[in-house]
Amino acid sequence: MATETINHKWGMVIDIDRCTGCQACVVACQAENNIPLNTEDRFRQRRAIEWIRVERYWEGEFPNIKARFIPILCQHCENAPCEPVCPVYATYHNNQGMNVQVYNRCVGTRYCANNCSYQVRFFNFWEPVWPESLKNQLNPDVTVRSRGIMEKCTFNIQRLRKAERVIEGQRGERITDENLKEGNFLPACVQACPTDTLIFGDWNDPSSKISSLKEKHFVDGGRGYKLLDDLGTQPNVIYLKKVDINAEHKVDAHA
Amino acid sequence: MHESHHVVAPSYLDMTAQEITNDVLERHHSPGNQFWTVAMILGGLFVVGLVGLFMLVSDGFDNKSNWGYYAATFAYVFSLSQTAVLVSVALRMAKSHWRRPLARISEMFAIVGVYSFAMLVPLLWVLPSIEGRRSLWFEWPGNTPHIWDTMALGSLVICGLAILYFASLPDLVTDKEVSGKSDEDVSYHPLIPHWFGTPKHWQLQKIVLGLLGGFYFLMLIIVHMLISVDFAMALIPGWKDAIFPAFHAINGIQASIALIIVTMFILRSTSSLGKYLELEQFWALSKILLATCLLWFYFWWSSFFTYWYGRMPAEIGVLKYIMFETYSTVFLLAFTMCFVIPFLILVVNVVRKTIWGPTLAATVILIGTFFNQVRYYVAGFSVEDHTLHVLENLPDFTSPGPIDFMVIVGGISGAVLTYMLGTRLFPIISIWEIKEGLMLQRVRKFMKRDIRVLAKPE
Amino acid sequence: MQERVRISDSQVNTDLTSSIFESSKLYWILVGFLALVVLCGFTAAGYMFNRGLGVTGLNRPVMWGFFITNFVFWIGISHAGVMLSAILRLVQAEWRRPATRAAEVLTVFSLMTAMTMPLIHAGRPWRVAYWVFPYDWARGIYPNVRSALVWDPSAVFTYLTSSILFVYIALIPDFAVLRDRTTGVPHIIYSILSLGWRGSVRQWKLQIIAGILLSAIILPIFVSVHSIVSWDFGTAMSVEAWHSTVFAPYFVIGAVHSGVSAVVTVMIILRWMFHWENYIRREHMDSLAKLLIVVATAWLFFFALEFFFGLYALEGPEVALRELQVFEAPWKWYFLTFLITSYLIPVPMWLIPSVRRNLWLMAFTTILVNVGMWFERFIIIVPGLMRKQAFVFTWGGYTPSIVEVTIITATFAMVSMLVLLFAKVVPLIPIGDAKEGMILHDEIKIGKVMVPAVMREE
Repeated sequence: MATETINHKWGMVIDIDRCTGCQACVVACQAENNIPLNTEDRFRQRRAIEWIRVERYWEGEFPNIKARFIPILCQHCENAPCEPVCPVYATYHNNQGMNVQVYNRCVGTRYCANNCSYQVRFFNFWEPVWPESLKNQLNPDVTVRSRGIMEKCTFNIQRLRKAERVIEGQRGERITDENLKEGNFLPACVQACPTDTLIFGDWNDPSSKISSLKEKHFVDGGRGYKLLDDLGTQPNVIYLKKVDINAEHKVDAHA
Repeated sequence: MHESHHVVAPSYLDMTAQEITNDVLERHHSPGNQFWTVAMILGGLFVVGLVGLFMLVSDGFDNKSNWGYYAATFAYVFSLSQTAVLVSVALRMAKSHWRRPLARISEMFAIVGVYSFAMLVPLLWVLPSIEGRRSLWFEWPGNTPHIWDTMALGSLVICGLAILYFASLPDLVTDKEVSGKSDEDVSYHPLIPHWFGTPKHWQLQKIVLGLLGGFYFLMLIIVHMLISVDFAMALIPGWKDAIFPAFHAINGIQASIALIIVTMFILRSTSSLGKYLELEQFWALSKILLATCLLWFYFWWSSFFTYWYGRMPAEIGVLKYIMFETYSTVFLLAFTMCFVIPFLILVVNVVRKTIWGPTLAATVILIGTFFNQVRYYVAGFSVEDHTLHVLENLPDFTSPGPIDFMVIVGGISGAVLTYMLGTRLFPIISIWEIKEGLMLQRVRKFMKRDIRVLAKPE
Repeated sequence: MQERVRISDSQVNTDLTSSIFESSKLYWILVGFLALVVLCGFTAAGYMFNRGLGVTGLNRPVMWGFFITNFVFWIGISHAGVMLSAILRLVQAEWRRPATRAAEVLTVFSLMTAMTMPLIHAGRPWRVAYWVFPYDWARGIYPNVRSALVWDPSAVFTYLTSSILFVYIALIPDFAVLRDRTTGVPHIIYSILSLGWRGSVRQWKLQIIAGILLSAIILPIFVSVHSIVSWDFGTAMSVEAWHSTVFAPYFVIGAVHSGVSAVVTVMIILRWMFHWENYIRREHMDSLAKLLIVVATAWLFFFALEFFFGLYALEGPEVALRELQVFEAPWKWYFLTFLITSYLIPVPMWLIPSVRRNLWLMAFTTILVNVGMWFERFIIIVPGLMRKQAFVFTWGGYTPSIVEVTIITATFAMVSMLVLLFAKVVPLIPIGDAKEGMILHDEIKIGKVMVPAVMREE
């Protein structure tokens, strides 16, 4: 047991300026979390499961057309609309600022998915099936969900728990950005991102990168914003606006 | 089960048609000194109100926040008077046998409609243009609400007056006959066509009243929506409430039934015409009043609950403004007096079946409704910047000053005075409907009891 | 005009119990066919449990589709019972008499059917059935009372219990009639169910008091049930289309519209099938149609409020949603169908007296209304989910699968089959009520005309 219990508040900063739309984060997330295979069929049925997805919007008209990318994952809202509506408490807010999903309790009413403004919740419409050869790549730290269960981004809570055991428990140290990175405890998407678009950390740690980014960008002239801020969901994920010196003001984006 | 008070038949069942006519018309022509004394007092108060209005106007139409209480008084007068006419229209549609004595009492409020229309006029200069802010009129020109609201209220008032006229026609003719006035008499000549009371005339009157009534019903709901949205909801940033027009209409219905009950009570206490207004009328109206109290709560809860559960900042801002923080006292008064107290009074069966019970509940509702209007209209007029989408800084509570009190007292007195003067033109009890009602009922013996038999003509 | 025929009491008994003692071949063929359809539904549901919800058309973002539409639809139909039985009993409308039992029975069975929908649409239905119940034997937690999905079962079960009680109490005298006309096992069962009814004065008095009390108690339950179901949507602040304060009364009045229309359809079918021309008469259809005009117009008002205030803030997703509903195929066809069938064809037709008295046209218009109301629920639920927020990349569509269509059809078959089977067990027109109506009927001679009249006890 650590001598000092720190209450972490996990969060993320996503710098849209750096995102190239490569979707390495999506692939890494799939691999880490035993997400069922997203075949073409699944995409056509609109049932593909992507705990983190990259949305692509077109800005402008040909030939001055630009692609804009925004990775969207569960925002782990402090005022999450998905939490009060679950009849069986399968989703609740833990004391580390995360919105957690309890697979065992979920009966699949799907109200939480309806009430998520960011549409980051995914339902298992089918029983997941992996070919024999792929079963060896399943992550033993993560449950495999059967059909009828809702799932979403967990900030790789299995890695965070391991971090607490190893860093705080065994070594007795405080968790910092550095020892998270060294011990491979950062979420898979953050690790995989080649451009450092995704930055993960602890809001309650004033020395973390995300805390300093928040301080820097949530002032006049800063690039910080929250998705769908006026809904009052208070997300734990903040975004940094893209800087485009050639862009005109407020072009309507279309998909 | 109803052993306490058997309401078998009206007590005036034994009077002949001629006796009823003479009785009502005699009182109609000589209301007594008390009537004129009260009218003079009300006239004086109305003049005080006019002075207050003059002071408001001289302060300028741009100081919107001064006009909040005036707007609330206007909404109060319009809601109550225009919806009161609806009570007679609706009961006639439902063919309730007990509506007959109170039909004219309710229709007479159409005259107050003219007064409320006059009250609207100064507000048209105060209401800001809709450009740049949310409104019911989307992207239409800036003065759209001014034009359309005036036209809507105007047509409603005219329709109400038409209903009053056509419903009073047989009584006006009777009056001419009974009082021996000739065709050339100035006071009645322009108003009455050649009505002879033939079956065809009666049929025509019924059809006209039916059509006017239907139009009035639809128009009233629309006017409630226009006034409540344009003068209250659209002025408060972040307030998007689909049920508010319906809530405003229900409040109007509840308050106007209360108003009719109170008017009936006053008539009973001050005039011999009260004998036509019996327990049956109070009891029947009290049941509807109880239903409207419950509907008031239901519609309020619908609106409050959706906002409170959703926790969206814009809507929580509105809740804080008109319910929990700035206007919290007014809200509490309105809630208690529009729902809690009347409900507790009317839910007791024994109390509901009296005359004092519904009257007490009605008086409380009349006061509570005024507070309810205050919290919307004063709140709306006190907002500085209407182009915002969220109320982040709640405006302060606008407390009423001396001018506001003058305007409130004067505004309401003027309305009551208009009603009283209206009773000089039209008899307050509808004679022909009572005569028709007597024709359609009998008292018969069934087994050992007297029982009332009501004809239901198709 | 009324088409009454003088019938003796014993003839009434024979006529109204004919459905129990006699049955035609057609009846059994119909029941058999419906049972087959229900069986198909069970098969489809079993397949769905086995394979997962992938066999439906549900996807992301449209996570609720046909099943929830059907759920809301059947809850809506269930509101007819209270409207006709309770409300019309409290206002003493004579023309309710043949409709009450059919309406109450329809309520009970449509509620039961509605309840199957949330069970089968869940991801893990084998767990839903017991995890939303408030007990804590091993898990350490109770259901989440903040969730509208937990209020749902409480409300629906309360309504079911009180409706069953309501039907049962009203059935006691009729069970006694059946007890006296059967032998053997049915006789024993009816004897137990009739609780020793002897038809004494005291028993009738208690029966009437119980009926009135239950009517008054069930009214708030009736309003709250569909309000709570509407809050399944109203509490979802993320779905722009559903975040409207008007949902509660809008759904309730829509339920009354849809339910009363369904009862008219059922009554016309019963009249034809069991030859009850003397009991279900054209004048009943006439009055029911007039009630429907009022209810439908009130519904239209709330629909207009929902639609226009949805657009009020003129925000991206809202505008896109309304554009989808009104302008984009195939939704614009569903929208047009819904408007035309639920209001624009039926109500103008009902304004014509000869249409109201024509049974074919009444059956046609009321079925049309229910088609429209099914579409109405559908275009609120699915398009709302298709255009949730501004993340255009995540906007989706929905096409129902054969599994969903089969199950929905099976629910219609199930309700019809249960009502028909119930006709074999109890008389679907209350015998006591029919006789009471005959007793209270009277006539008054006014001038040269005999006008039908009714006796009022108080």
